[in-house]
Amino acid sequence: MRIGNFEYVVPGSIQEACQFLLEHGADARVFNGGTDLVIRVRDGHWNPKYLVDIKRIPELKELSYDDVNGLTIGATVTLNQLGSLEVVYRQYPVLIEGAHVVGSLQVRNRATLVGNICNASPLADTAPALLVYEAQVQITGVTGERLVPVQEFFVGPGKTVLQPGEIVTKVIVPPIANSEGKYFKHARRKAVDLSSIGVAVLVIGKDGNHVDEVRLALGAVAPTPVRAKRAEALLKNATVTPELLEQVKEAVASDISPISDIRASKEYRLEISGVLAKRGIAEILGWE
Amino acid sequence: MKTYRVSFIINGRKQVMDVPANMTLLDLIRDELDLTGAKCGCGGGECGACTVIMNNNPVNSCLVLAPEVDGAEIITVEGLVKNAELDKIQEAFIENAALQCGFCTPGMIMSAKALLTKNPHPTEKEVRAAISGNLCRCTGYKKIVEAILAATTK
Repeated sequence: MRIGNFEYVVPGSIQEACQFLLEHGADARVFNGGTDLVIRVRDGHWNPKYLVDIKRIPELKELSYDDVNGLTIGATVTLNQLGSLEVVYRQYPVLIEGAHVVGSLQVRNRATLVGNICNASPLADTAPALLVYEAQVQITGVTGERLVPVQEFFVGPGKTVLQPGEIVTKVIVPPIANSEGKYFKHARRKAVDLSSIGVAVLVIGKDGNHVDEVRLALGAVAPTPVRAKRAEALLKNATVTPELLEQVKEAVASDISPISDIRASKEYRLEISGVLAKRGIAEILGWE
Repeated sequence: MKTYRVSFIINGRKQVMDVPANMTLLDLIRDELDLTGAKCGCGGGECGACTVIMNNNPVNSCLVLAPEVDGAEIITVEGLVKNAELDKIQEAFIENAALQCGFCTPGMIMSAKALLTKNPHPTEKEVRAAISGNLCRCTGYKKIVEAILAATTK
């Protein structure tokens, strides 16, 4: 079964890749993990003339951590490779939890974190984590580099701020101290499913039931992954009580704009988003 | 149609071929190399019936394109048989009746092989996680999990 009709191009450098992509515009697509792209080409949704395989560019393989810059994740680092750095589990648990529930084990050996955000599905499981950790996206084009905060990177379902000739070369997750978090992937199946609702909860400066800050980000409940700003405002320098959590649950519903689709209804998403936000905070505070 | 020369190792043997860009690794091993163990179940990386081991990792071969295999090392279920002797995972599958129609079986065995190569003594939870990307419509998975755990004691 042949799929599509395209040429396979292997640039040797980031600049070569950007140049080729700029020259060929919509006829060329970046080919990274391929776990979204191959399916779209097979189904005829995408019809590129050129696939630009960036996996052989050495600079894009970087995966490193230091206390000044934080975590650097190169464009071709796979979701499973992310787990090869022990510090990710300690410092960025929400990210590793999100990364390790995408697709399946086999998919995670090919799919990349950068590919997950460039595909820009509203339900991308790595996005809520990147939002709560306030990551930066480094974009390179023929004229140079720019750094975009992840909350500005997504503009709509499947749409990012990437311009023709630009590729994401790395994601940088800043260092963070004194934080605890978790990611809930609420789906119909425990594996090999897309999220119905994704909720990332990050508690910063926990001291008993007092918190300095809580960051909440959600996927699959809006045109892009979003932070729940009104809910977060209730938790700034707060002593958390069951009553406050009820208010947080209501506020989350006002921070999102879900639709009904094949996986869940709008009403279900409105309800469960708040439930999971509450549950995350309660679990982190040791209430459950 | 443009072709690309790839040089790779498959089941321990070096292979050099000219492949088109729009052929998947699954098509390559089934149609060009007669290695028909891996199956096309969904064609989209959701069922795992096409699982092979590529560079020590289990992957869905339906999502890998043929030109990408240049320089890679690939193992398929056919590569588990050594000197006409079955791999202990294959024996355990037979002894524990871990298959009915057999369609998911090569992919299941490759996921199991990848697991036991990295982790020779997994817990049941780890086994279930390792095969969570392989769907079976016949067995209900119980006997498959038992077989993989039994293989660890062989």
